[in-house]
Amino acid sequence: MSKRKAPQETLNEGITDFLVELANYERNVNRAIHKYNAYRKAASVIAKYPTKIKSGAEAKKLDGVGAKIAEKIDEFLATGKLRKLEKIRQDDTSSSINYLTRVSGIGPAAARKLVEEGIKTLDDLRNNENKLNHHQKIGLKYFEDFEMRIPREEMLKMQDIVLEKVKNLDSEYLATVCGSFRRGAQSSGDMDILLTHPDFMSDSPKQPHLLHQVVQSLEECKFLTDTLVKGDTKYMGVGQLPSEGGKQFPFRRIDIRLIPKDQYFCGVLYFTGSDIFNKNMRAHALEKGFTLNEYTLRPLGVTGMAGEPLPVDSEKDIFDYIQYKYREPKDRSE
Amino acid sequence: MPEIKLKHVVSCSSADSTHTAENLLKPDTYRKWKAQHAGEKQISVILQFEKEEQIHSIDIGNEGSAFVEVLAGHSTSVSEQEYEVILGMSSFMSPSESKNGSNLNRTRMFGGDKLVKAAAEKKWDRVKIVCTQPYTKNLAYGLSFIRFHSPPDKDDPPPSSPKVTKLGHFKVKEEESSSPSMRPGSLFFNRTNKTEITPPKAPQTSYAAVALQGTSSTETSAEKPITKTPPSSTTPKDPSSGKRKFEFKKESSSHPHPKASPSHSKESNSQPLSKKIKAEVQPAPSVKKTPPPEKTSHKKTPPSSQPVELNRLLQGTVFVLSGFQNPFRSDLRDKALEMGAKYRPDWTPDSTHLIYLMDGADSSSEEDDYSDDDSPPRHKAPTHRPEQKDAAKKEPRSAPDDPYAGSTDENTDVEEEPEVEFPIPELPDLFVGKHFFLYGEFPPAERRLLQRYITAFNGELEEYMNEKVHYVITAQEWDDSFEEALNDNTSLYFVRPRWIYNCNERQKCIPHQPYVVVPQA
Repeated sequence: MSKRKAPQETLNEGITDFLVELANYERNVNRAIHKYNAYRKAASVIAKYPTKIKSGAEAKKLDGVGAKIAEKIDEFLATGKLRKLEKIRQDDTSSSINYLTRVSGIGPAAARKLVEEGIKTLDDLRNNENKLNHHQKIGLKYFEDFEMRIPREEMLKMQDIVLEKVKNLDSEYLATVCGSFRRGAQSSGDMDILLTHPDFMSDSPKQPHLLHQVVQSLEECKFLTDTLVKGDTKYMGVGQLPSEGGKQFPFRRIDIRLIPKDQYFCGVLYFTGSDIFNKNMRAHALEKGFTLNEYTLRPLGVTGMAGEPLPVDSEKDIFDYIQYKYREPKDRSE
Repeated sequence: MPEIKLKHVVSCSSADSTHTAENLLKPDTYRKWKAQHAGEKQISVILQFEKEEQIHSIDIGNEGSAFVEVLAGHSTSVSEQEYEVILGMSSFMSPSESKNGSNLNRTRMFGGDKLVKAAAEKKWDRVKIVCTQPYTKNLAYGLSFIRFHSPPDKDDPPPSSPKVTKLGHFKVKEEESSSPSMRPGSLFFNRTNKTEITPPKAPQTSYAAVALQGTSSTETSAEKPITKTPPSSTTPKDPSSGKRKFEFKKESSSHPHPKASPSHSKESNSQPLSKKIKAEVQPAPSVKKTPPPEKTSHKKTPPSSQPVELNRLLQGTVFVLSGFQNPFRSDLRDKALEMGAKYRPDWTPDSTHLIYLMDGADSSSEEDDYSDDDSPPRHKAPTHRPEQKDAAKKEPRSAPDDPYAGSTDENTDVEEEPEVEFPIPELPDLFVGKHFFLYGEFPPAERRLLQRYITAFNGELEEYMNEKVHYVITAQEWDDSFEEALNDNTSLYFVRPRWIYNCNERQKCIPHQPYVVVPQA
């Protein structure tokens, strides 16, 4: 999953921006994932709010906005800024940590450790490459590229390359580029490819070659340039479109996941998102007596025990089972 | 696998007047149980077994339900909460099938691997079956049948079906015939233990199997373990009493259970099948069939019938060496390790064998150490002599080559290596961390017994009164010295020996308070 979410322009951009900033601060500096989630939830509900918010009390009516956040909104509306945020921004440590986590492979924990060692900027990182692991070195090398969003046009080109190579290897492969791209987003943070093969089921032994031969083929055609992590079922790496008329394309983060065929569509549904759509869909599944996760859909018995994974042959099957109106990927961006 | 007899319907949430729940008790599969009204969200029925049984497998024939769940309970239970899921919600129809009314009568067979393990291990006398069909409002749904099977029973009389023995591609059918004439190859068979393979069609095919043959559902056939009990008699028969006939037929042509295909072996872990595979891969005459499948049967093969691999000869042996000097000591140790034994540099509680050099005063004195009364009383080491090891390895060593062998051949008839290591019972650590002191007079036998118990339960026995002591075990009445000791160590308890004995009887550390010695009024 990308660390960066597509920027959303709304009437309440100022409020959502500072909430997201607070969220990132809580996650990266304080490692308070629940505070992070609370701020994000508030930001997302305010982003959807159709009119400009005039007071904290007005915002407080929304689900996910409590007294504390309402207070902050009041302060922001009155003064145009937030003392807490100003303090955070001035705090050298926290802003450095926040900054370093933008490097792929550096999470909050690694960032804090580096900052404690006095490493605070990209240049510091470059001078201390020995402190970085392979993934982080690559993240540093392509820092600027990875920060750039990928225009849909490029995503389509990359999709063509990947799907063609996969098909040439074995026409029985099934591959889907998920993420916001599948929902029709105009730009994406990275490329998330799900891959399956009828030979690979959840009860069969692992078949890493199914993933590795795809990776190898994409490496041979110079699409994939670096590998961050390569496991039996998950590849994380870097890819680049071939240059066109002297124009070099940026390096992009590419993930490929090999998923058992019987779990593929639950995976596609999950990795297509959006995360909020997923949450709502899961809640609906529970209401109808099912439990849904990224692997399986299972009915719940009278005692609440989940039964056997249901056979799923398409995303639509999942919607049918839980009696949820089917929504095309482009309509799942709520 | 014997079928569990159903006694009666205990209760039923909804039933049609003709398709009553009682139909589930009847063998005919065309008699169904259906809900009273179309479109009921959930229906359930509780069935009573004739007696308490363990549920080993379940066959279910559907009649329009989307999901079926089976729970097990006891007739003594007061509330429905006490039912436990034994078969989780299982899918019988997809939403689209439900809407189209297609594939209403799918049959599925759930073997042991599909059932909830914890529940399948217990005995139950009631089952509750819950069916749901949320996808259509105009279908009165239910079940066409349900069968429960208890685990295969060893004492069960084998179905009297012709026995078939297979060797490679040959199928051997036994015929009751009085003809005494020798058939070609019959002598050959006499040498072999009969390798029993799947019998041809068991006499009564289960209802589910009949239904199965009717449906084309692929999932059911893949799931189905071989359920027919193989005939259990394994006594090799005299070839003259019955003759055998060769059939050069591929077995798949006439029998319901063709040879195991990989997909079968993946799905079913049932014993008969794995046996069958085994028999097919190695049609060695020595493969002896154990009667009906039983959990542990594959673990212990009779030692005589199967060659033991070298590296498992001494499996389970934990040995200690004493008195051997080094070139030979390491040699001996390496060889034993090679045969699967484990080596300990010093005597430990898990050691099973002490191997020591017979001659020489030092080694025998070491043996004495271990048999001393004060040593842990648990396990006396059976002793083994080096020659035996060599003998076991079938690597006879000529005496002149071996500088150590000459002096030790006095009694070569010492005890044989036990065939099976009996697991040494674990002693509970009741007194771990507790320090004891025996005070005053005890009869020698009682003193020894107390010492044994305290040591056995991992307590520390102090020779003298000191500050580490928690418990003073005494048979005497309170006297002034007790008070003095208490002044030095306020956390001291004075306890009767009875406490130790009761701890041993109950195998737990019971409260000592009822056994304390108190000053007399």
